[in-house]
Amino acid sequence: MATPARWAVPLLIRNPVCSRTITTSTSAHASVSDITTSVSSHIPPLPPIDNPWVHATIHSFPSLEPLLFRKYPPWKLALPIRRDILHRAVVYEADNARQGTANTKWRSEVHGSAHKIRPQKGSGRARLGDKKSPMLRGGGVAFGPKPRDFGTDLPGKVYNLAWRTALSHRFRKGELIIVQGRIDVPGNSRMDYVEELFRTHGWGRGLGRSLLVTLGERPMLESLLDPRDGRKTTWTELDVRAVLGMGRVVIEERALSNLFKITRLDGRIGPSTKLDQEEDDDWEEGEQEQERWEG
Amino acid sequence: MPPRLRALRLAVSFLSVHHASPITPLVAPFLLPVQQRSASILSSLSDTPGAYQKRIRKGRGPSSGKGKTAGRGQKGQHAHGKVPAGFQGGQTPLSITQPPRGKNKHVPFKVEMSPINLDRIQSWIDQGRLNPERPITIRDLTRTRCLHGVKKDGVKLLSRNADQLKTAIKIIVSRASASAIAHVEALGGTVLTRFYTPEAIKRIRARQTHPTISLEADPEFLSRAVRSGQVESIVATRAAMSDTEAAEKIKQVCAEIAAKYKYRLPDATSRKDIEYYRDPAHRGYLSHTVKEGESPSLFFKLPGEAKDRNRQLARRKAVKASAENRLF
Repeated sequence: MATPARWAVPLLIRNPVCSRTITTSTSAHASVSDITTSVSSHIPPLPPIDNPWVHATIHSFPSLEPLLFRKYPPWKLALPIRRDILHRAVVYEADNARQGTANTKWRSEVHGSAHKIRPQKGSGRARLGDKKSPMLRGGGVAFGPKPRDFGTDLPGKVYNLAWRTALSHRFRKGELIIVQGRIDVPGNSRMDYVEELFRTHGWGRGLGRSLLVTLGERPMLESLLDPRDGRKTTWTELDVRAVLGMGRVVIEERALSNLFKITRLDGRIGPSTKLDQEEDDDWEEGEQEQERWEG
Repeated sequence: MPPRLRALRLAVSFLSVHHASPITPLVAPFLLPVQQRSASILSSLSDTPGAYQKRIRKGRGPSSGKGKTAGRGQKGQHAHGKVPAGFQGGQTPLSITQPPRGKNKHVPFKVEMSPINLDRIQSWIDQGRLNPERPITIRDLTRTRCLHGVKKDGVKLLSRNADQLKTAIKIIVSRASASAIAHVEALGGTVLTRFYTPEAIKRIRARQTHPTISLEADPEFLSRAVRSGQVESIVATRAAMSDTEAAEKIKQVCAEIAAKYKYRLPDATSRKDIEYYRDPAHRGYLSHTVKEGESPSLFFKLPGEAKDRNRQLARRKAVKASAENRLF
C-alpha cells in the first residue's frame, strides 16, 4: 500500500510537540516567525492573469490518496483576499448568532411602592423619591440591558463573495482538502478509528484541529470525533467563521459544489438550482476501505 | 441500536490486529520549531479604515469637543427645543423666493440618455468583450459593463475619438449623433436607432423583453436581426413583399418571440418620438414607413393623401339624401 501523499497540505511532523525545549531565552532554534502558524505563513500569490483557473487535488478518503485534479474558476477558488469583506461577514454571522437575552429591572420594574420615602425639605439630607431609584442600593438599574435583537443585515452578494473569498483563502494556503466520497466511519471499525485517522494525517489537537464538512448526517462520525481534535458539520450548517476558524477544512466534493451553487456571485438562485443530495448506494463497503487503509 | 455499541461489538474481533502507522517522520530534527500555535485569520480581520467613525457622545466633558452645550450654542429655541427646518420666523423662506431654475430645476419631460462613445466600443472589441459580428444592443453594452447602468430614456451614440474606431459594428441604440453615424458607416457598419421606454430598458436588462424587435420593426431588419435557429429566418426584401405579407411575417416572428419573452417591446406613441424615428437621417427604425416624397414630420401629407373636405361633405350629403327610412 502506497504511503498516502498529501499534496495540498504542508508536511507535518509525526511526533507530538512535547519535545520542545523548556528554556525561555532566545536560542538558535527559536525564531519569532515560527511561533504562530497559519497566520504568518507565506500566502502564495494569485494565479497569473492570462491563466486564472486553478487546479485542486481531489483526494480519496480515508487514505487521502490524490485521485485527480479538478479545475476551478477564479471566482470560486482564486479570489483575492478581501479581509474587509471577510470581517463584515464574520461580524454579521456573530451578530445573528447572539441570543440577546440579557435583562435587568429598571426602576419601574423593581418591586416596591412609589411613595416618597422622606419629605422634600427639612430632613437636612438629599431629596429622594421612591426607593427604586438607581441612585439607591436595591434600586433598579439605570438603562440596563433589555432583551433585544442584535441581528444585522448584509447584502446577499457581499455575503456570497465573503463565502468564496474564505474558501479561496483556505485553498491558497493549502488548508482546504477536497475529498471524493463520504467522510464517514465504516460500519465495522474500531472505537479509535477517528482518533487514529486524525493522528495519522496530523489533523488533531496541537496541529490546529480540523473541520470536517459532509453532505449529510454522519452520526457514527459525530459520536467518535473528539471535540479537542476537530468538529464536524453538514454543509448547510456551515458558516464563514467555521471555514476560517480551524487549522484545516476537509470537505466532501459534493458539499463544496453545493456551497458554490448557493453562493452565486450574481445572487441568482431559484427553484431550478440543483443541489447534490445524499444517496445511500454510493457508500462503499466498509471492509474494503478498512483494508486498503491499514494494509 | 446506538452506533457506539455497534462499533464496539464488531471491533472485538479486531483487537489483536496490529496496524503500523504508514506515516514516517519526514522532517529533519533540526527543523523542529520550539513552540507552535495555530492562529486563524479570524484574529486579524478588520474592515477598511474608512468604515470606522469616531463615536460622538454629546455632553461628556470638554475634551470630547461636544461637552457642556453639546453643539447647540447658547439659549434660544434651538437650545431648548426645535424649529422647523428652513423656517424663517414667518418671512417667505429661501426655498420659495429662490427656487431652482434652469438646469437645476427638475423637469420630468427632459430626455436623459447615457452617452457611449466610439473609442470605448472599440476598446471593448479589442478586449474581446464585445463581439462585432453580432449586433450591439443596450443589453450587450450593460452586460459587458461598457455602460454602467442606463439613464431613463436610453443610450446615445457619440463620436469622441472617432478615429479610434476600426471595426465595422452593427449597433442599435436610442439615438446617435450625425458624426457617429458617419464614422460607423464609413467603416461599413450600420446604426439603427429605436424607441425605448424606461420600463422597457429595465426589462431588456432583465431579459424579459427582446432588445430590438417590436411590432413596427422593418421586416428587412427582422431578417438581419433575428438569430438563425432561434426564429425562422426571414429572407425577404421590401420590394419582394407586399404589405400583408410583411404584416404576416412580422406577426409570425413576434409570436415566436412572445413565446420566449414575457413582455413586448413597446413602440413610439408620442408625436415627437414618432417623428424622430421616422427620420432616415437619424437612422430611425420607423423610416421604412415613410413613403416616397413624404417628410418624416406627421404634419405634412403627400398631395394625393390630403383630405378633400368638400368632396367628403358632398358624399355624406348624398348618402343622407338617399336614405329610405328617414324620420326627419
